[in-house]
Amino acid sequence: MKHDMTFHICPDSEFFGKQREIDTICHWATEAQKLSIGMLIVGKRWTGKTEILRRVHQWLFWNQARVIPVYYQFKTCAYHEDFAEDYVKEIIKQYLAFIKRDVQVIRTEVALERLEGLCRDIDIPNISGLITRYREAKGNGDFLAALRNAITMPYTLSLHSNIPIFLILDDIDCARKIVLSWNGVSMMREFFNSLYPKYPNPVPFLMASSIKSVLDDRGLSGAMEIIKLDGLEEEIAVPMTIELCRQYNIEFDTGVLAFITKKLSGNPVYIKNIVWAAYRAGRDFINLRDFIDLYLYELTEGNLGFLLFSAIPIESLSDLRVLHTCMNSRNSISEEEIREKVRCSTEEIKKAVGSLVASGLLEKDIGLIRWGGDDVVKDFIHCLYETRIKGKSTEEVRTGIARKDLKEGFYQKGIKVEGRIKEETIEIIEAFHGQKIVKALLNNQIFSAGYEKGVFHIPENMRAEDVVTLPQIIGCFDALKWEKETEPTIIIAYGFQNNRYDTAHEEVWIVGIKEDMVPVNPDEGENFIRRSSILKEIFRANKVARWFVGSEGFHAEAQKRLDSEGIYSTDAVQLRILKDRIMEEKAADRSSGIDVIAPNKEFEVVLPMGSKAELVAVKVLEGICMEMGFDEDAISQIKVALVEACINAFEHCKVKEGKICLRFIAGRDRLVIHVQNKGMNLDQLPSMDRIAFSETRHGLPHKKGWGIELIRGFMDEVCLETLKSGTEIVMTKYLAKKGDIRNDQRTEKF
Amino acid sequence: MINGQKNFKELNNTIVLYADNYINDTEGEKLEEICDDFLGKGIKNFIINFSGTELVNSIGISILIGIIEKIKDEKGVIVFSELNKINHSIFTVVGLTKHIRVSKTEDEALKLLENHRD
Repeated sequence: MKHDMTFHICPDSEFFGKQREIDTICHWATEAQKLSIGMLIVGKRWTGKTEILRRVHQWLFWNQARVIPVYYQFKTCAYHEDFAEDYVKEIIKQYLAFIKRDVQVIRTEVALERLEGLCRDIDIPNISGLITRYREAKGNGDFLAALRNAITMPYTLSLHSNIPIFLILDDIDCARKIVLSWNGVSMMREFFNSLYPKYPNPVPFLMASSIKSVLDDRGLSGAMEIIKLDGLEEEIAVPMTIELCRQYNIEFDTGVLAFITKKLSGNPVYIKNIVWAAYRAGRDFINLRDFIDLYLYELTEGNLGFLLFSAIPIESLSDLRVLHTCMNSRNSISEEEIREKVRCSTEEIKKAVGSLVASGLLEKDIGLIRWGGDDVVKDFIHCLYETRIKGKSTEEVRTGIARKDLKEGFYQKGIKVEGRIKEETIEIIEAFHGQKIVKALLNNQIFSAGYEKGVFHIPENMRAEDVVTLPQIIGCFDALKWEKETEPTIIIAYGFQNNRYDTAHEEVWIVGIKEDMVPVNPDEGENFIRRSSILKEIFRANKVARWFVGSEGFHAEAQKRLDSEGIYSTDAVQLRILKDRIMEEKAADRSSGIDVIAPNKEFEVVLPMGSKAELVAVKVLEGICMEMGFDEDAISQIKVALVEACINAFEHCKVKEGKICLRFIAGRDRLVIHVQNKGMNLDQLPSMDRIAFSETRHGLPHKKGWGIELIRGFMDEVCLETLKSGTEIVMTKYLAKKGDIRNDQRTEKF
Repeated sequence: MINGQKNFKELNNTIVLYADNYINDTEGEKLEEICDDFLGKGIKNFIINFSGTELVNSIGISILIGIIEKIKDEKGVIVFSELNKINHSIFTVVGLTKHIRVSKTEDEALKLLENHRD
């Protein structure tokens, strides 16, 4: 039986082979006697930590009764008051959800007072007492006591319950960023004190962090098991990428995919991102050029760049300089050495290093600093540095990366991509059946002149000589029997012209195939000319065509020589188009397969400040939601959240005539909406939110602060971010699948 | 005003207000003004008919809470009628449905008020 999801996890088809780690953790979580008090998963950003934690929670929720799993994801920016309230609510909700085995409880947005009442109603007074204690501390203005009550809640809850809590803390490193109002109080210390085994029955826990140093000076490292999470290994990453490509009808060469997964550090988020980008752009991964173009576009102008820009905490040019220096330093480097190179003040360096170490981009060990990011982040930082500090154009930087980081690096490492060009070429030749094709598909030079951004522009006013009539091929075979040389492979294909099977219409094709991921050089060109001339004498026919297929194209000199001999030349891109043209059935399949909205299709709207301006956004939203297949109730809920986000953004615009930018990202299973303004800092928002819970005359709810609550109530995920340029609310709504109760009325339960 | 017509009617000492398609600050204030006028004239029973309302925003909510406060100050009664699903959810999340009567139809709302008077 498939259980409802407790927290959103990606579809199994897009899962990334960390089942072994999940099994280990689940086994450990349910053991009666544990050798360690906790586990810490440390891994770079987007290596799948959250997915593992949520899958562990899902398994523990449905498959055992020894522990009560409680999952909490720390937010990137929070006040202690908001954190405490949120933490208590989550723990109690998940406790109740487990007792009742009802995931709806987890998903429902509900006030603490109601949770307290609910605990009382279902006769678990001890738990309602814990909530009361927290609320009283908060009501009396003793926020430190309230915070400590919240943090120790899993422990006290375990004491009052027959089943212990198993605490799952995601992004624990973000706990350090919770804003406190007291001197000498450290959030991490408070937290770790509550977990440290000074109590008789400590709460077992699983944590995930981008940085290992989260444990420093807490005395916990020895008592914990640490799982280091790296990118996917090639044998897992490549099959996963193949599966994704098949899912999105993207043609690929396995060798190119192997290179892609390596280049993207085996990071599942990067891999998915680039596959989706290829789908959106209608590109394939047949040769390296396809990938390089797409990767650089994605990095500088696409989603990948946007993702990195939002995640990397670069607040000043000093940060960028420090990062660039450490990134390019072969060995670890001291702050003093950095200062000499970037010419910033000691304070600036300290501040930059502090925030970059906290983000995991730099690592600090006994006073020395080293680069801690991956290759993709490295390219991204390089782009930023070259454009913002050195003033280069994006195009220039892109060219530089393509040349240096990808092509040169690729050849130096001597990676040889085993392509399928030979099989594909034979498949294409065997499908020759008298079709007429544009000659450019058989001439790399003409083709290159008309090929731009993934599209080949057929020249106007085509003449008879611009078209080639293919023969009807009756068979083809390897020329190995007829010559001693093996590289490049030569194929002989026999056929007839115009369906006339006589000597006058006999036609032979001599086809050279070079699979290496480097262009055909002049020597190889000469080699083919010489060998094909000999074979031409052996396989005499009325017409002999010679064709050289080079996966990565041709050096100019080689191209010139082949042209002068009247030899056709085709690279992998031409071959792909040729294949599509002559295999119409397959082409039809490709186009008919696309019947749903493209994943991560994006729409942007800029709203000027004005009365009812938010309704313009609602109109756009309706169209997107309907196309995505959201039901009417879900659309209404998203509309409410969007209206509130717009109102909020307008209300807090710093600029009088301000505008807000909306970005709708329609994925296969979710809609993500970004609402951004040039507004105040988010830390001003929570105090407003809290107003909503207090009551006024006649016991009525307070008049203000409902916007954020409605957004949280009606969307599946809400994230408030402070950007350099303002404030952003990011809201996600998932498409409900059959049997999923996600979009049911959320208020019915309580 | 809805389509140029008056957006309220008076029935048996009860005022029925017809809310606009989108209740924001402007539309909320219009409802508030009408309520203020009639409260000043001594009328204490109000029905807000939301049949034409697609959406209520948080500013609209705050004004509606203000209206309820004023009516309760005068010991009056207010009923919300013909709420669509999403608006009903909104008022539930806010907690308003605990403080006011909600009816499916305007007739049902009128009956509720009659019974209340009895």
